[in-house]
Amino acid sequence: MTVKLASYALVLLLAITLNFLLPRLMPGTPLRFFVGDDVALLSQESIQELMAQHGLDKPLWEQYLRYLWQLAQGDLGYSYQERQPVLTVLLERLPWTLLLTGTALLLSTTIGIVVGALAAWRYGSAFDALALSLFVLLDSMPSFWLGMILIALFAVQLGWFPIFGAQTPWASLTGWEYLLDILKHLALPVLTLTLTTISGAFLVMRSAMLGVLGEDYIRTARSKGVSEFGVLYRHALRNGLLPVTTVFMINLGFLVSGATVVETVFSYPGLGRLLYEAVLQRDYPLMQGAFLLITLSVLAANLVADLLYSRIDPRVRV
Amino acid sequence: MKSVLSIIGLVILGALGGIAIFTPAPYDPHERVSAPFQPPSPQHWLGTNDIGQDIFSEVVHGTRTSLLVGVVAATLAILLGVVVGVTAGYAGRSVDTLLMRVVDVVLVVPFLPLMILLGAYLGPSLITVIAVIAALMWARPARVIRSQVLVLKNLAYVEAAHAIGGSFWHLLRRHIIPAIVPLAMAQLVTVASSAILIESSLAFLGLGDPVQKSWGTVLYYAQARGAFLTGAWVWWVLPPGALITLSVLGFALVGYALERRSNPRLRHH
Repeated sequence: MTVKLASYALVLLLAITLNFLLPRLMPGTPLRFFVGDDVALLSQESIQELMAQHGLDKPLWEQYLRYLWQLAQGDLGYSYQERQPVLTVLLERLPWTLLLTGTALLLSTTIGIVVGALAAWRYGSAFDALALSLFVLLDSMPSFWLGMILIALFAVQLGWFPIFGAQTPWASLTGWEYLLDILKHLALPVLTLTLTTISGAFLVMRSAMLGVLGEDYIRTARSKGVSEFGVLYRHALRNGLLPVTTVFMINLGFLVSGATVVETVFSYPGLGRLLYEAVLQRDYPLMQGAFLLITLSVLAANLVADLLYSRIDPRVRV
Repeated sequence: MKSVLSIIGLVILGALGGIAIFTPAPYDPHERVSAPFQPPSPQHWLGTNDIGQDIFSEVVHGTRTSLLVGVVAATLAILLGVVVGVTAGYAGRSVDTLLMRVVDVVLVVPFLPLMILLGAYLGPSLITVIAVIAALMWARPARVIRSQVLVLKNLAYVEAAHAIGGSFWHLLRRHIIPAIVPLAMAQLVTVASSAILIESSLAFLGLGDPVQKSWGTVLYYAQARGAFLTGAWVWWVLPPGALITLSVLGFALVGYALERRSNPRLRHH
């Protein structure tokens, strides 16, 4: 566990250091990454003043310490496009990303496990072949493309779902109506993200179950007269589930990347969409903040999965 | 069943390679050749985009860019992966531990957000995209190759070659490289599959090379101009995305078949 923790801490430190170095090592004045392209219009005096204000006239190591100290206080800089502290903007967007990726992760893992187990149980059947080809095909699709098709079909042509956003603007709905509105906006992005990430859990579950179903204790259970249902769900599934936690972690990385493009397609106001907007508007402090928060969330989720794994599998000592 | 899949994969890749190399684009994809937003016609098979460029020519041109990025980025990533994997596996001990820590670190980083950040700072160009993909995709191949080298190192004939005084370079050339080439090929094809997907995502987010149009670039403009709000999505959105899906699938199927070949233990499942 200490090794894992150390390696996560290292990733975080690298992300922070990258954020620190990128604006300072690019050609040209680093100031434009802090206050925007307006820097070209400023007088020499105000440039000097702003450089001093951001500590950019100090030696690099001193700037680094200052940067770390600011981070420790939750100061992620100032977004010059949103005209707000970066942290404020990020915290506004975070819940939407958590809602979207959380729901998709839960769905894709659950469906992947159930269908994977069934496919292994009926190994070589038409169901197995169909599920396998379908999920491999979905896995090859770019999520933004699938998203665009789903919008064109279900939002534009059929009009079942809204086209963009996370809620109807200016509607000021309350109670059940508000919840329904949120769910309607959530449906297509979640569907896109779920479909394009399902294959991981499915493939791992299928091959793990194939291994487990060949074990002696399964034959023993069958010969004792345990029903097929009991064999599958009470005996095989338990051990087959172990590697799925690993998939859970791998999926998480894909989900976060997938969410970035899916949020963009659906104009869903999460962190990924924010990262995209920041790139469009060349808002570097916001870009860096979004990257840091995404990295931090992935690491935190990995840590939770590690802890869960050691709970489920007593052989693993962490 | 298994060989059928790899044949499908090869046919897909052959067809796409054929489009990239032999199909001439009827128009310059950067020229305005007609009125904007035209539906498909005998002159413009896939219609025209928002500024009157021929979409079919864009897609043909995009095939070259996307396949080039996939293959070049994957080759670079595999070369790096082989160097790291062989070094870690052969040297062992602290070198191995250190390199595998680095691999763990690279594997945990959320790669698309990182690529977006790097792309935004370094500016959109094909070289940047290739370099960034290669720099982040070598870790998994490195791990796979390391474990193969660990197995090889302990085989009797390799130990024997070492014992009679075979140098590192001799062992490398005669015993290690030949044994890991099939594995590296399988990894190369698999990485190419992800590289194409990643390149298209970056281009879709507007971080692709504006001069070298790829499939993702076409979709970026289709999205920005709201092509899916009209009937235009059928000829503007479907074709480039279908080609991305096909190429990713083609590389994945071939990679899967090669992996089975290079690892006999997998054959039974």
